[in-house]
Amino acid sequence: MDEHNTPDIHTRITERLRQIQYPGSQRDIVTLGLVGKVQVQTDSAVVQIRASSIKEDVLRHLRGRITQELTTLPEIVHVHIHAFAAQAGEPHQGGQAGNQAVRERADIPGVRRILAVASGKGGVGKSTVAVNLTLALGSLGHKVGLLDADIYGPSVPLMMGTEATPRAGQDKKIYPVEKYGVSLISMGFFLDDQSPVIWRGPIVMSIVRQFLRDVIWSELDYLVVDLPPGTGDIALTLAQEVPLHGGVIVTTPQDVALLDVQRGISMFKQVNVPLLGVIENMSFYECPVCHEKEEIFGHGGAQKTGLKVLGQVPLVEEVRVGADAGKPVVVSAPDHPVAQEFFGIARQVVAAEEMQLPQSVH
Amino acid sequence: MPTPLLLTPIPEDQLLRVLWDDDTLNDYPFAYLRGWCPCAVCQGHGGERHFIEVENPQLVSIDMVGNYAVNPTWDDGHETGIYTYVYLRSLGESQDSQHSQDDPEGTH
Ligand SMILES: Nc1ncnc2c1ncn2[C@@H]1O[C@H](COP(=O)(O)OP(=O)(O)OP(=O)(O)O)[C@@H](O)[C@H]1O
Ligand SMILES: [Mg+2]
Ligand SMILES: [Zn+2]
Ligand SMILES: [Zn+2]
Repeated sequence: MDEHNTPDIHTRITERLRQIQYPGSQRDIVTLGLVGKVQVQTDSAVVQIRASSIKEDVLRHLRGRITQELTTLPEIVHVHIHAFAAQAGEPHQGGQAGNQAVRERADIPGVRRILAVASGKGGVGKSTVAVNLTLALGSLGHKVGLLDADIYGPSVPLMMGTEATPRAGQDKKIYPVEKYGVSLISMGFFLDDQSPVIWRGPIVMSIVRQFLRDVIWSELDYLVVDLPPGTGDIALTLAQEVPLHGGVIVTTPQDVALLDVQRGISMFKQVNVPLLGVIENMSFYECPVCHEKEEIFGHGGAQKTGLKVLGQVPLVEEVRVGADAGKPVVVSAPDHPVAQEFFGIARQVVAAEEMQLPQSVH
Repeated sequence: MPTPLLLTPIPEDQLLRVLWDDDTLNDYPFAYLRGWCPCAVCQGHGGERHFIEVENPQLVSIDMVGNYAVNPTWDDGHETGIYTYVYLRSLGESQDSQHSQDDPEGTH
């Protein structure tokens, strides 16, 4: 055993390590139990950091701090840190003690951000908004995908004007349909006509899990998910199963102050998904001849709730016609004011979403 | 919602240490955590929650579930417990008050 390997140096090492606070906390890394075995070999300290839910960037920061602190000790020239960040992985794969003790929920491979579009109740134009928002995000230069998870009424393929079914490749992998530059998957593709409309939660859960595993999305900046309307079990299950980064709620102005929207808000809260804001749909009627705006439901309902309003989409014929014809207004008439409103919403969503990105630690 | 900043299993002390975003620190002895498993297998359906005696349970791994819960896997293969952050936090608090085998949510 080395002459430096004395309780004295160990005590002083621990003292130094106690100077290192965990980012976002007043507590130090020894108190938190992060520090495992510490050994000293001649002029080197070997520090083991226990497996934990620590994130890669936090670990990187702590490595630097540990080296900095320990090399202030005259006996220590080199610092070796044995550590592992939390592993991303499929849940329930049977982990093992050691470096994989804590795992992050797996994101969808290749997908940077996943946004959910929800509504307190049906028929408010949620799918219309999801489709046009996706296309608008695409027009802004982002690579986009659309997951139609509304098992009650998968209407997205119709609105997107495609009857193509996704290609099943080798290994049972599923390749999305491409339309208007959007990678598209609808649960409707997998519903045979015999399936009961109301699925039981566990069945939905297992189908969604399979979706998340088997669909090969190309590299996407944004995947937009059209959730089922309402805040019932199925919507909640989906919000839990899909690793969402943000949510928006579509509502009509007359509903915005109602309980439905509050339920939508608490649904996202329950699963800890940041609510980016609400989109008022069918906000006002715009006369197709003189373009005068007539507010059919009164003004500014959403503002009253104190929520961020990402945009107000008027009730215009072009929106409905575009959807019915499989040519959403954002692609069929991008210069139309209502398409411009969707571009504005897309920009707002990107901005709101970027504010939510975790700040990296330096 | 309380949210954990860091979860660290400490096998030497047979506990899971959790740092919350309000800087609260909670230790959950493995047997305590396993005993209050909220899953239907352990708790049945309905009725009040009760403590499941398991001898020397070892935590094998923990998965983060969404942004709202954790899901431990135990060495006997049990892995159906989804502990929401709210529930986990209440377990930490009721343990602090030394009634570790009382119902953490006090629903007696
Ligand atoms: N801003 C709008 N202007 C005109 N028509 C619209 C507008 N938004 C939606 N619609 C029309 O309203 C109808 C319902 O829209 P959509 O299917 O998008 O609603 P939804 O909320 O997804 O409904 P569901 O709950 O059935 O899924 C459609 O016919 C659509 O074309
Ligand atoms: Mg719809
Ligand atoms: Zn007019
Ligand atoms: Zn259980």
